[in-house]
Amino acid sequence: MGRALAAALLLMLLADTAAAQDPNGGGVQGVTTADSDPAGARSPWDPWERFNRKVFAFNEKVDHYALEPVATGWDYVVPHRVELCISNFFENLMLPTRFANDLLQLKPWKAYETLWRAVINTTVGIGGLFDPASSWDVYKSDEDFGQTLGYWGTPAGPYLVLPLLGPSSPRDTAGLIVDSIPYLYIPPYTLIPWYASFGGTAMNVVNRRALVLETIREERKSAFDWYSAVRSAYTQNRENRVHDQAAAPAKPGATPDEDLYDVDQ
Amino acid sequence: MTSINEGRRRVRALLGALTALVAVVSVAALASAAEPPRSVIQRTIDEVLAILRDKGRSSDQRRKDLEAIARDRFDFMTMSKLVMATNWKKLSPDQQTEFVDQFTRFLANDYGARIDRYHQEDVQITGEQPEARGDHTVKTKIVGGDNDGAIVDYRLRQQEGGGNWLIIDVVIEGISLVANYRDQFREVANQGGPVVVIQKLKEKNANPSAPVPELEPPKKSESPKKS
Repeated sequence: MGRALAAALLLMLLADTAAAQDPNGGGVQGVTTADSDPAGARSPWDPWERFNRKVFAFNEKVDHYALEPVATGWDYVVPHRVELCISNFFENLMLPTRFANDLLQLKPWKAYETLWRAVINTTVGIGGLFDPASSWDVYKSDEDFGQTLGYWGTPAGPYLVLPLLGPSSPRDTAGLIVDSIPYLYIPPYTLIPWYASFGGTAMNVVNRRALVLETIREERKSAFDWYSAVRSAYTQNRENRVHDQAAAPAKPGATPDEDLYDVDQ
Repeated sequence: MTSINEGRRRVRALLGALTALVAVVSVAALASAAEPPRSVIQRTIDEVLAILRDKGRSSDQRRKDLEAIARDRFDFMTMSKLVMATNWKKLSPDQQTEFVDQFTRFLANDYGARIDRYHQEDVQITGEQPEARGDHTVKTKIVGGDNDGAIVDYRLRQQEGGGNWLIIDVVIEGISLVANYRDQFREVANQGGPVVVIQKLKEKNANPSAPVPELEPPKKSESPKKS
């Protein structure tokens, strides 16, 4: 379900760079929210909630009337395996972002893996359509500049919902912009004509949405307040990624929000 | 000589009997001690996977069986307190009982549905660690399927007096179920009081497969939640 929630967020990121951002999160924010939120630090800090809810409602409308129907049609026509290939292909194109941010976070081993992965998947994986690297235990990096900023101590700031792009924060919005700049200058990418990158982006967005159709439908069903469900998921998952908690076991009691588990509050 | 041999044989027999006795006693002691968290999770995984792999079961039956596992392994009382946080004490004892009852139904159903659609081929325990408050986390990883590599952590707490270890939170890819519902319930409670949460739970339980709820209208109230 976790991945489901993460996917829920992903879908909201209509941008091609979706993979470069997703959920954001709690530890550093926890400190800042402590005053206004005695209930616990994992609670997102959302002083712009009124504005955010409006943008969120707008994004939901766009999804409901445009993206979801198109993705449903796409999903009907395109076999699941092909959808996965398309998803792999676009992820493979993210190499510069991943590689640079691995290095910026002083993770040379990860950077090496990222590079090796791209080599394997571009050749053996036929231009990135397949992902043989993962089955050889060369796993993908999900680093982006928002996480790099977090790694060096920049707090995420308040929760922020961007029009069309979805859940974010000032830190992650900055990260998103920085991550997209290199693509304007790196040779192979600069050769792509504007209409091709436009079409590719649209295809990627629709394809990503198609892959999470059922997940989002189900997550909506089990939500009591969809806005805060997404906010919580984004914030938590993002923080989790900044600290690479999935990869390395946290130190005992190091969870940023121990109050979450206090029954006497 | 024979008598000496006889004597040795007796001593040996006695020692053997003692050893057997010690073994029996320690097995009994082990049996009375609570099953360790890791083993609770391993058993849960085995049961869940057995249900998912059994193609003979109807989808309805699968969901029911998964629900039964959830009812057996989750500490719903603690989870109720955690998700309601400061709002818990605003409920009367009767309302608290009602909340636990409704939340149990909701969560068991939700868990069953999630597990059922969360296509997984295998689940491995990757580690465990003690946590604050005497809790214990067991880390697992999904292997195979669309969610290959997804990290799922189970946080367990021991019932008072050396009782069973029960699950108090499921954290998937860093997203805590308890934290997620707590945020939602706080929003709901902010708009109409904690009783509305019970009401919404009831509605949801009455129709678990209800269609997508209406979009939340932008909130009118200015002040960010205090408390």
